[in-house]
Amino acid sequence: MENSSDDYRIQSFDLDTQVLLKTALKDPNSVNLEKVCSIIVDQSLKDQVFSKEAGRICYTIVQAEAKQNNGNVFRRNLLNRLQQEFKGREETRARSIQEWVCYVTFICNIFDYLKVNNMPMVALVHPVYDCLMRLANPDALMNEEEVDCLVLQLHRIGEQLEKVNSQRMDELFFLLRDGFLLQEGLTSMARLLLLEILEFRAGGWMLSSTAHKYYYSEIAD
Amino acid sequence: MSDWKRDRRRGAHSEERESRSVGLSRWSHCRKRGVDGNLRSSSKVDGREKDNDRHIEGSHRYPDGRHSSFTTPESTGPVTRCSQQADWGSQVEDDEMRRDVHRDMQRRRILGAEVTERERKTSSGSSESNDSKEGDNIETDEAVLLRRQKQINYGKNTLAYDRYIKEVPKHMRQAGIHPKTPNKFRKYSRRSWDQQIKLWKVKLHAWDPPSENGLNEVLDNIEEPDLGDVMDIELDFPSLADSQNASVSLRTHLLSVEDDDCLGTPVKVQRTESTVEADMA
Repeated sequence: MENSSDDYRIQSFDLDTQVLLKTALKDPNSVNLEKVCSIIVDQSLKDQVFSKEAGRICYTIVQAEAKQNNGNVFRRNLLNRLQQEFKGREETRARSIQEWVCYVTFICNIFDYLKVNNMPMVALVHPVYDCLMRLANPDALMNEEEVDCLVLQLHRIGEQLEKVNSQRMDELFFLLRDGFLLQEGLTSMARLLLLEILEFRAGGWMLSSTAHKYYYSEIAD
Repeated sequence: MSDWKRDRRRGAHSEERESRSVGLSRWSHCRKRGVDGNLRSSSKVDGREKDNDRHIEGSHRYPDGRHSSFTTPESTGPVTRCSQQADWGSQVEDDEMRRDVHRDMQRRRILGAEVTERERKTSSGSSESNDSKEGDNIETDEAVLLRRQKQINYGKNTLAYDRYIKEVPKHMRQAGIHPKTPNKFRKYSRRSWDQQIKLWKVKLHAWDPPSENGLNEVLDNIEEPDLGDVMDIELDFPSLADSQNASVSLRTHLLSVEDDDCLGTPVKVQRTESTVEADMA
């Protein structure tokens, strides 16, 4: 299996760390997995590009460790670290919207990649919803960064989330409709993003070709 | 019984499992320690905040200040509640185990039917060779199966087990000599099952990684009946919980100080040593 470092977007790390990560991918037991986990999580909270795809490298390490000796030290550390950050998410958001957005992106990415017997991790379902609901709150809708993050996650994992808990998805979309209709001061970009995601879900988590044309094609003036 | 901590690959994170894996079944579901090894009585109730409580499916809210862990006789109710409060790592592991057990149950249902068919045809008198004869003798209670699977997992998550399965492939195993995982689908009394697990784990120790001070040879030479003495020592502890607490901190110290030397030292022997040390201190 070809694992080019490009797949895992680890170029942003310094060379020593890159070596450590590559070793973790091939021979997890030979490295300190707690430390590896820490490095990955810390970077995910800082680097938006990395947070979007960090799930992949995590998945590979989890698989490698399970195969090597049936261990799940890495997964356990990862989940508990995620839980820690989750508990402190409001403080994180107050401190830095950027970091908060990175966290949501990361946890959703983990939800996407790390499955248990091909099922999403039940433990993450509610926390993910909690994060998305937070992004759908009026104060968050005022920030394009947060709206953008919200719709991105829904594009990626909305369908899966709905399958495991449709009630909460309904609740989330009540908020989104309200936000779109009633929220004053939304930028036109924010409103566009919201309208698109409303149509996206209504279309069964995909856009009709005409809608796609509307949102994604260059509109001749 | 088996607090054979050295052979667990997980380090400090397995502290919780240590306290859970001690043989006394009454406390086997009591999570007195969090994953980090600290007593949980003063810790927060739940990872979720109050405003998330309404989203807990099917369960009730916990008022603030309620202890997150409590000793209970084993039953299905408290067990599920405990596991809902656990850290995400444990939740996912429990979920994974539950799925595995369900999958096993399904397999058993399918295979069990086939076995029964075969038996009717051959009308074999032996009850030993087949794992579960009829529907009557199959354990189907999910809580029981989960508990048993957990105990099996503790035994399998050891270096000794790893080495054993690598060394002795299934077809080479001889009854009586090579340890065999107890069959969770057979009906046994609680005592009988727990005893089987104990004996199985003891047998597995023959495959412990080699240690420098040769305690493994001592273990290898112990006949099963002789373990009665050692087991009695355990039962003599008035409240295992207390002695556990005391010895865990000593154990941790010993772990960090002696490290590689004592890889094979079973904790029970170690506990005796540390008790002696405490006496002599």
